[in-house]
Formats: sequence, structure tokens, C-alpha cells
Amino acid sequence: MDPLILSVYIVTALASLVVAAFLFYVSTKSYYRRSAKRKKEERERRRKMHAMRAGAGSLAIKNIVYDEIKEFVKSEEERKEISYTVSEVFKRELENQLNTKNKELTDKYKKIIEGKTYDEKQAIKKYKKILSAKKETDAVIRSVAQGLVVVDPDGKVVMMNPAAEKLLGDKKENKIGKSVLEGLKEEQLVSLSKDSQVGEEKEIEVFGSQEETKKILRASNAIIENKDGQTVGMVSVLSDITKQKELDQLKANFLSSVTHELRTPLIAMDKSISLLLGKQAGPVSQTQEQFLSIASRNLKRLTTLINDLLDVSKMEAGKMRVEFKPVLIEEVIDETIANLKDWAKTKSITIKKEVEKEIPKVDMDFDRIVQVLSNLIGNAIKFTPEEGKIVVGARLEGANLRVNVKDSGTGIPKENIENIFNKFYQGGGRSPTDINGTGLGLSIVKEIIKMHKGKVWAESKKGQGANFIFTLPAKT
Amino acid sequence: MDKKIKVLLVDDEPDFIQSMAFWLNSKGYETIVAYEGGKGIELVKKEKPDIIFLDFNMPAMDGIEALKKIREFDKEVPAIIISAYLDQKKIGKFEKHGVSGVFYKGEDFEKSLVLLESVLKRHKKR
Repeated sequence: MDPLILSVYIVTALASLVVAAFLFYVSTKSYYRRSAKRKKEERERRRKMHAMRAGAGSLAIKNIVYDEIKEFVKSEEERKEISYTVSEVFKRELENQLNTKNKELTDKYKKIIEGKTYDEKQAIKKYKKILSAKKETDAVIRSVAQGLVVVDPDGKVVMMNPAAEKLLGDKKENKIGKSVLEGLKEEQLVSLSKDSQVGEEKEIEVFGSQEETKKILRASNAIIENKDGQTVGMVSVLSDITKQKELDQLKANFLSSVTHELRTPLIAMDKSISLLLGKQAGPVSQTQEQFLSIASRNLKRLTTLINDLLDVSKMEAGKMRVEFKPVLIEEVIDETIANLKDWAKTKSITIKKEVEKEIPKVDMDFDRIVQVLSNLIGNAIKFTPEEGKIVVGARLEGANLRVNVKDSGTGIPKENIENIFNKFYQGGGRSPTDINGTGLGLSIVKEIIKMHKGKVWAESKKGQGANFIFTLPAKT
Repeated sequence: MDKKIKVLLVDDEPDFIQSMAFWLNSKGYETIVAYEGGKGIELVKKEKPDIIFLDFNMPAMDGIEALKKIREFDKEVPAIIISAYLDQKKIGKFEKHGVSGVFYKGEDFEKSLVLLESVLKRHKKR
């Protein structure tokens, strides 16, 4: 071909391309300004564009361009040329964009997938961790020697461990979802019932189904609360205290028999010495009498200590009894003072009686109240220095008979005044001026007064002696 | 003073019962002593005591069992139970066996004398 003609062709083609591009630009630009009737065509064009995007290729673009430039480019050849060139440009551009988009999307999804996989891994890890923690907790609960029963607020069993199954003589399968009380005999359900006092320990007896042996269980209960403080259930810890109970019983029996056995020889000794002191067995010199008195006094002490021990063992076993009869308190006071006046005399202590006139008879156990007063006056003698003074008073105070024993001893420090009625608590920080005791006396006093439905307490100011008061309900 | 009052003492504790016998002798009573229930029953038959002191706690036969056997042939002789330790529940059961009183060993012998005399006095009135 002639180079001139060729160059003309090229120039024309390029010019056409520019024109075509321009026209395409104009036509696109005017898109928004098109009237309503063209909207349909527009939708059609979009459909075509979508078709093109979906891979219909440059043919679709070429056709569109060809249609669009019909009005402006008359020559079919040119239109073909223009539409071809434009479509090629588009195709390349589209491919580029597609590639970029593809890459972007691939990267994005890759990231998302990676993220998802990580999350999944984390979740599995967490799940495994929780599972192993649960297994651990389960294992701990399973292997706890104490029986563990968890009930919901309605008293239905939610969980129980093998130890509890064994203790209650029933399988978990039979209990879950049922009231813990179901199938239990009346004796054993006391403590596990819904209205059990929380924090309180209760003892229950269980008669095993297989073995005929009786079991004694101790149940301590605790309420389970959620974060909002609502009760969601209760956990009971059951322990088998049968052995402990047996030992307690053995101890009580031993204490009781030992004290009984100890008393017999003491009495024989005491009686022999009394006979000598009473001079029934012949004359006794003053020195001999003095030593016999020491022996006798100490025997009495020993007897009191043993009696105290016996009383405590009875108190612990709940076997202490009181027998009520109408009694004049003055008679009790007189008897007690008569018993103790020799001892008081050895320390030159005077015991004064201040009993209100016309106190009626009050229901009490004569011997036990003598024991109470003996303890109180005995203590007063112990803690009062020589030449001291003890006042025993009695009067009616409202519906009560009030009896008090006041001494001129050293008094009880304030911090000890609460404890002096406790078992084995001695002296309350005071030092006795002569002999020691077992520390049981006041605990026995407290128990006896409690059995009389009365009250006992102590008042003291340091250096001003102690005042022990007890009240007994008086019928008026 | 007419014929001495004869007191039978039954107790497995010789150390105690000998003192008591000695003391009663010193107060002008005649005493006979048995150290177990069976011997006591025998002595009731043989010696016809005016009153019996019976220890409650004895190994072979306790005081109440011995008294039941005595009551089979002698419904009259007054009996006083003696013991180192007694609870009220047990004492309550004694009455139906014809026990006239209870003497606690820890108490003074004087008290046993008061009890003995009052029991004898009541007995004579019947």
C-alpha cells in the first residue's frame, strides 16, 4: 500500500477513535439527563453491561458502541472500526480491573478464612480447656470422701457424688430430679429438707438398704447464690460420723463408770476418817485430829471434783435430770451455808444472809440448787482473802426469784466475765486465795439454771469483788 | 434399854460396810454383815433382823433382786437401799418392791441413823 494512503488511514482511524471515545463519553455523561422513556433502554444497557461483566466479552461492548454512535458516525466501516477499537480498550481495562478486583477479593477472603480458622482454633482450645477443668472438678467432687448433694430451690437433687450415693444408700440415677427426701425414711430426712437451717449442722440416722447397720451422718448445708444474690440451690456436705459417735458414747460410758468406781473407795476412806474424827474408835489427840481433818477435807474436795466430772458427763450426754418441788429458797441457802461454814471459818470469812421476808415457795430441784449455791459460795470463799465477807441475798424481782452471792474478793477482769461460765475455764484471771478447782463448777451452774429456765450471770468491778446472780421463774 | 435392834447390812464393799457397822455398833445397834445378796437372804431367814440395809450395786445379785427374794418369805422386814450413786428414775422404781428409804453413801452416817429410826417408828405403828 502507498505509505501516504496508509498514514491517512492511520490518522483517520486515530481521529475516529478519539471521536468515538469522546462520543461515548458524551453519551454516558448524558445518561442522567435522559428522559423517562429512555429509562427502559438504560435498564437494557445495564443488563448488557452486566452480561459483558459476566464474561460476554468485547462483542457486547462492540455492539453497544456500534448502536450508540449510529447517529453521529454515518459510515458503517468507521462505526465498525470505532466500536472495535473502543471495545478492545474496554476489554483491556476491564481485564485489568477484574484482575485487581480478583486479587483484592482473594486477599480479603484469604484473610477472613485465616481469621475464621484462628477463631475456630481458639474456640476449640477454650472448649478443651473448659472440658478439662470440668473433668477436673468432676473428679474432685467424685473423689471427695464426704458426700456432696446439690439441690435446686425446690429441694430436687441436681447432683450427687458417689460418696453421697454410698452414704444415702441410693444411686444417683434414682435421685436426680427428685426430691432428696424421696425414698428416705423419716428419721433420715430431717436435715436434708428444704427448710434446713443454713450453716447449721445436723445429724441424721440412715438405715442402709443392704447392710442393716445404722449410720449417723452429719450434714452441713450452704445456700448457693448466683451473682444477683438469688438462691439457686443448696449444697449439703454429708460426713459419716458413726465412728465418732461410737467413740463419744464410749468416752461417756468410760467417764461415767470411772467416776462411779472412783467414788466407792473415796466414800470408804471418808467414812473411816469420820469414825476416827468422831472418836467412836477411841480418843484422838489434837495433832491427830488436825491431820485427820486435812485428810477429810481433801477427800471431800476430791469427791466434789469427781461429782463435777460425773455431772459434766451427764450434761454432755443430755442425761442430767432435775426434779421440781416447791421449795423455800431460805432453806436452800441455810443448808448450803451450813455445809460451807467450816471452810469459811478456816479463812475467817463471814457469810451473811440477806433474804427478803415472805418469799413464797418456788419450784426447783432442792439438791441441784444447793449444788449451784455451793459452787457460787465455794468460789466466793476461794477468791476472797482472809477476813473477807460474803453476802448471800434472795428477793423477788417481778416474776422471778433473784439470788445473788457477793464477795469482797479481787473481782473478775471485764474481758473474762463472758467466759467464766465455759467448761474448763478457770478463775477468770483471778488467782484463788487457796485451792484450785476443775473449772467445771460454773459450767454446771449454768446448765442447772438453764434446766430451771432461769438465768445466771456475773457482775464485777475490778478490786470490788464479784457478784454472781441467778434468777428462777417464780409462780405468783 | 430393851433388846438391841438388829441391823443386817448387805454390801459387796467390805471397807464401807465395816465402817458403817462399827458406827452403828457405837450407837448401840447390833449388826450383822453379808457381802453378797445370797448370803443376805440366808441371814434374813436365820437371824430375823429388825431392819435391812441393802446395797443397790452388787455384782452377782443387786439389792432389788435380793429384796424381791426376801419378800417371797418375809413381807414385813423394812429395807433401806444404800448406794454410792442413784438417779431419781431408779429410786422411783424402788417403792413397789417395798423399799422404805434410800441412803446415799456419801452422806453422813448421822443421816442413816435418822432414816433408820424414822423407818422403824413408822413400821411399828402399822
